[in-house]
Order: sequence, then C-alpha cells, then structure tokens
Amino acid sequence: MVSPPFRRLLVANRGEIAVRVIRACDKLGIETVAAVSEADRDSLAARMATRAVCIGPAPARESYLKPEALVAAALGTGCEAIHPGYGFLSERPAFSRLCRTAGVRFVGPSPEAIEAMGDKISAVRLATAAGVPRVPGSERIDSLATAQSEARRVGYPVLLKASAGGGGRGMRVVRSEREIAAAMQAAAAEAQAAFGDGTLYMEKFIERARHIEIQVLGDSHGNVVHLGERDCSTQRRHQKLIEEAPSPAIDAAMRAGLADAAVRLAQRVSYEGAGTVEFVYDTDAGRAYFLEMNTRIQVEHPVTEMVTGRDLVTEQIRIAAGEPVSFLQEDVALSGHAIECRINAEDASRGFAPGPGRLAAWSMPQGEGLRVDTHCFEGYLVPPFYDSLLAKVIAHGSSRAEAIARMDSALARCRIEGVPTTVPFHREVMAHEDFRAARVTTRWVEETLLAREKVAA
Amino acid sequence: MAAASATDLTHDDVAKILKIIDEAAHLDEVELEFAGLRLHVRRDASPGESVRRAAANPAVRAPAPVAADASVPAKKAPVAEAQAPAGAVAVRAPMLGTFYRAPSPGEKPFVEVGQHVKAGDTVCLIEVMKLFNSIGAGVDGTVVAIPAQNGALVEYNQPLVYVMPDPASEE
Repeated sequence: MVSPPFRRLLVANRGEIAVRVIRACDKLGIETVAAVSEADRDSLAARMATRAVCIGPAPARESYLKPEALVAAALGTGCEAIHPGYGFLSERPAFSRLCRTAGVRFVGPSPEAIEAMGDKISAVRLATAAGVPRVPGSERIDSLATAQSEARRVGYPVLLKASAGGGGRGMRVVRSEREIAAAMQAAAAEAQAAFGDGTLYMEKFIERARHIEIQVLGDSHGNVVHLGERDCSTQRRHQKLIEEAPSPAIDAAMRAGLADAAVRLAQRVSYEGAGTVEFVYDTDAGRAYFLEMNTRIQVEHPVTEMVTGRDLVTEQIRIAAGEPVSFLQEDVALSGHAIECRINAEDASRGFAPGPGRLAAWSMPQGEGLRVDTHCFEGYLVPPFYDSLLAKVIAHGSSRAEAIARMDSALARCRIEGVPTTVPFHREVMAHEDFRAARVTTRWVEETLLAREKVAA
Repeated sequence: MAAASATDLTHDDVAKILKIIDEAAHLDEVELEFAGLRLHVRRDASPGESVRRAAANPAVRAPAPVAADASVPAKKAPVAEAQAPAGAVAVRAPMLGTFYRAPSPGEKPFVEVGQHVKAGDTVCLIEVMKLFNSIGAGVDGTVVAIPAQNGALVEYNQPLVYVMPDPASEE
C-alpha cells in the first residue's frame, strides 16, 4: 500500500460530515482526532475517531468556531492536517491562514482564494473577468439614491443581497421603488447581524430559476477538473432540501458551457481542493448566471460521487498533502442519475420547526443504489445547539425515474422515532408531478407545494 | 453544631466531616444518616467521584446513596478524573490548551502539593496559541493533587489541580 498522505488529521467539525471525513481517513490509512464540543463527547464521530478531544462547551462559538482551540488541539495531538468540513470555520480565510502560520495543513484552498471568493462583490468581479456571466446587477450599494438608480437600470423586481452573505440571510426581493428603502434597511441589518458586515449589492430577480452548480477539484500542480453539475432547485427559503445529478433542466451544450466557466474561474484563483461554482439558471430565458463559489466540500457532494464514482473527500485530503488530482478530465464519466434528500429533525407541517430530542428508534434503509450518510444511531440525543441535519439519503438509478422510485421506497423504509423529520415532506415531493416532470424552480416549495397545502388546510 | 438535618447541612459541615474521615488512619468507609439525606463516603478510587460531588454541592437532598453522575461519559472522560481526592474541589480547564505549572520554563511552579492557596491565587497557566491564561484556585484551601502533566494538552473541563477547601473558621 502507498504511504498515507498524512499520518494524523484533526476533524474540525461535527455531525454527518465529521463521520464522512473519518471514513475517508480510514480509507487512506490516516489516524483521526475528532475535535468535539462537550455536547458531542459521545457522538459517533468521537467513537469512530482514533481519539477525541474536547475543545469547549456546547455552543459553537465557544467550540467549533474557535480557530485557536482547534489549531491548539491539532498541534497538541500531533496532527499534520485539519479538515474543516462545511459550515463553521470552513470558509474563514483567517482560519486557513492560522493553520498555515501554525504549520498545519488546512484541507481546503489558500486563505487568498477563500478571500477572493468569500467576498461576493470580489467574486463577481473575478467571474466577469474569467468570462463567467453574472446576473445583471450592481456593484456595492452605499446609498438609497444609488439603490434607486441601479434598480431602475436593472429593472424591477430586484434582489438585494449581502456582500458577505450566504444561506439566504440579508436578502430581500424588491418589486417596486416604494419598497426599496425599507428592504434596504432590513437586509443591511440582517447582514450586519449575521456576518458582521452590512454591505449590500443588487441583482435582477429571476422569477423562474433553477439552482445549478458545478463541482471542481484543483490541485497545487495547476490542474483543475470538473465533475459535472448538481441541480439543487428544491429549496425552501434558500435552504437546499433535495439535490440531484445530472440536472434534468439543461442540455449538453449548457452543461459544457457552465463546466468550462467554472474551471476557468477556479484556474484564475489557483484553486486547490474541492470547490463549487454556483449558477442561477433562468428557465424562461434559457440562460445561466454566476451566483457564487463555495470554497469547501458541500453537503450534497454524494450525488456527484454516486454518478462519477469518485471520492471527493479523499481527493481533498490528497490534494492538501500536495498530490495531484488522481484522475484526468477525460476519465470523468457520468453514469445514471442520483438524488439526495436531506433528512432534518424538522416538522414540515409546522413551518419546518426544528425538534431536537432522543432517537427512540433509528433504522435506515439499505440496498442496491442506496447510500445513507449520517451520524445518528438509536438512543442518540439530537442536541439543540447545532443544525438539524440527521441524515442524507442518496439514491442512484440508471435513469431519473428509477432514482426517484428507489428514493421513494427508501424513504418509506426509514424508521425514525423521537424527533420530527422531513421524511414525509420528501415523500410528498417524490410523488409530485412537478418534481417528476422537472418543473420545480427555487421557489416552488414555498409558492406551490406549501401554498397549496395552506389552502387545503 | 446543632443536630443536622439535610436542610441545614452546609458546605463547611461536609468539608469538616470529610476532614475527620481523611485524618482517621484506619477508616475506609463512613455512612452518615440525617433526615432526608444519607452521606456515603468510601476511600477507594472510583466511588470517590460521588463523594466529591456530594461535597461540592452541599444542597444535595437526593435520596441516598449519592450515585455517580450518569451523564459523565465513562469512555471519553479524561484519565485524571479517577484520581479525584475525596472532598477536594477540582480546578478545571476553562479551555483546551497546553498546561503549564510555572510562569516560564525553569521558574518555580505556581503551586506544589501541600501548599496553601487563596481563592484568587494563580495555580497554573493554559496556553492557547501563544496566549497565556492564568487559572485561579477559586477556593481557599490546600493543594492535594496536580493530575495534569506540565506541557501536556489539556481538554476543556479537564481537572488540573485539586484543592481541599479550608475548614470554616470557628465563630
């Protein structure tokens, strides 16, 4: 066996992604140290890792969001690398920089690349320079007068967005000039609270949009490859619920165009590691625009793994150790169709209210073409401190219809008791003719599915 | 001291009881019964945890015997936890970092076993990325054990130093 890329690696995250990273390390022969908060001492990741160290109390800002504690934990346990997972510190340039200063490899891009892509205005500028079209919109908006004139130029409706933003926070749709002052104030306040930066910019609001993203991998030898697209249009309040690959909404020419654009952008920032270039696809105009680039592994990476047969997390780790991407672009072949449903501890019938609690029962389906990524087990206490993701069910089939059928039967076999889950919601979507016919847009869940239920109720 | 009931048994009373037991050479087990409270103290290692808890929390009114806290995970608990001396109060790590007994290498340690400390005295340092945090004793008393290793990584909430609180001064 070839020698492992690292001897020991610190997992600076929790939940299913910590488990996913540990599995990848096991495969590569790397020892793992799980950095856990006090609430996660008994977690599956803590049990699976070679060792677990407690980095702080339950609240994330005192544990998973403390760069110094994580780097100190890595140094103190002899780790050569830190995997940040997604969320938490994964896209903080300061954390990547701190790792570099401390002599620990950060599994992800350079602080410079994170910085360039992290600031949305700078990212849009880079994308434009790389020939990646953006949604018509503005630069930084610093006054109401600018906002009004820019909105008139772009044309209503417009979308106000936070420059430092993501995840739907600090966003407002503005349909007329009367609404713009109040929307600006609200969006800036929300952005300030969420990101510590209230800077806004504006984009044309696309009424019927699909969310399409390209997975890329770059290495320190200058190679950048793409692994096709994912379609994450089934969202609620900009939070992805269902993802699939390939997209049922675009043709081969569009696919090739987006992939080329994503690779060009990644090359421009000497991108190292796994990254995702997100696009919004205007279904009416048949045009795609650059949204943002995420400089980390994504929650929905398994759908890409299922259709390409490539392991993105082991690639990430090898790249961090200075190895080249283990395959060439021409070796990437897509096979069949994959769908992922995020099973959250939320009650869809009560506005997706999160419900932590103890799992009285936990039994997940197994079978051909199925994969379940999870950190849950029977008796596990879903803590109230973190996000509500319990598991990701991924179904693969030779066609989209087969993947849907396989997913539906898998969902029917999930036996989860003790907390509310989004399983019933996903079953409803799988059965819906709009989803089956790929007519879903990014606001379909709220405007069609949930709106109709409200009328029916 | 008047006849004690569970409600008026104070922290100092418990500390005194523990001191008596501790100083008696041939005593391994003591059981005291009050109205509504039974205090069970044993000298060997593992049930010591329950003793320490009883002492640290004078308001315990739970029916006896005071059981070890089930929420403390056995597997991942730091090794030093088992060494808790009966009656002593643990000074725990408020953060993960490197534990240092002295202000700098070569200097005298802040405290040694047997030394008396005031609540505000620094007993050790925890370094987190070149930032040194002074850790106070938190209680007046005598240092009875220092389970943490100088220069070693300590986890959040790990016991670093045990201090036997002073008996209450007579009025």
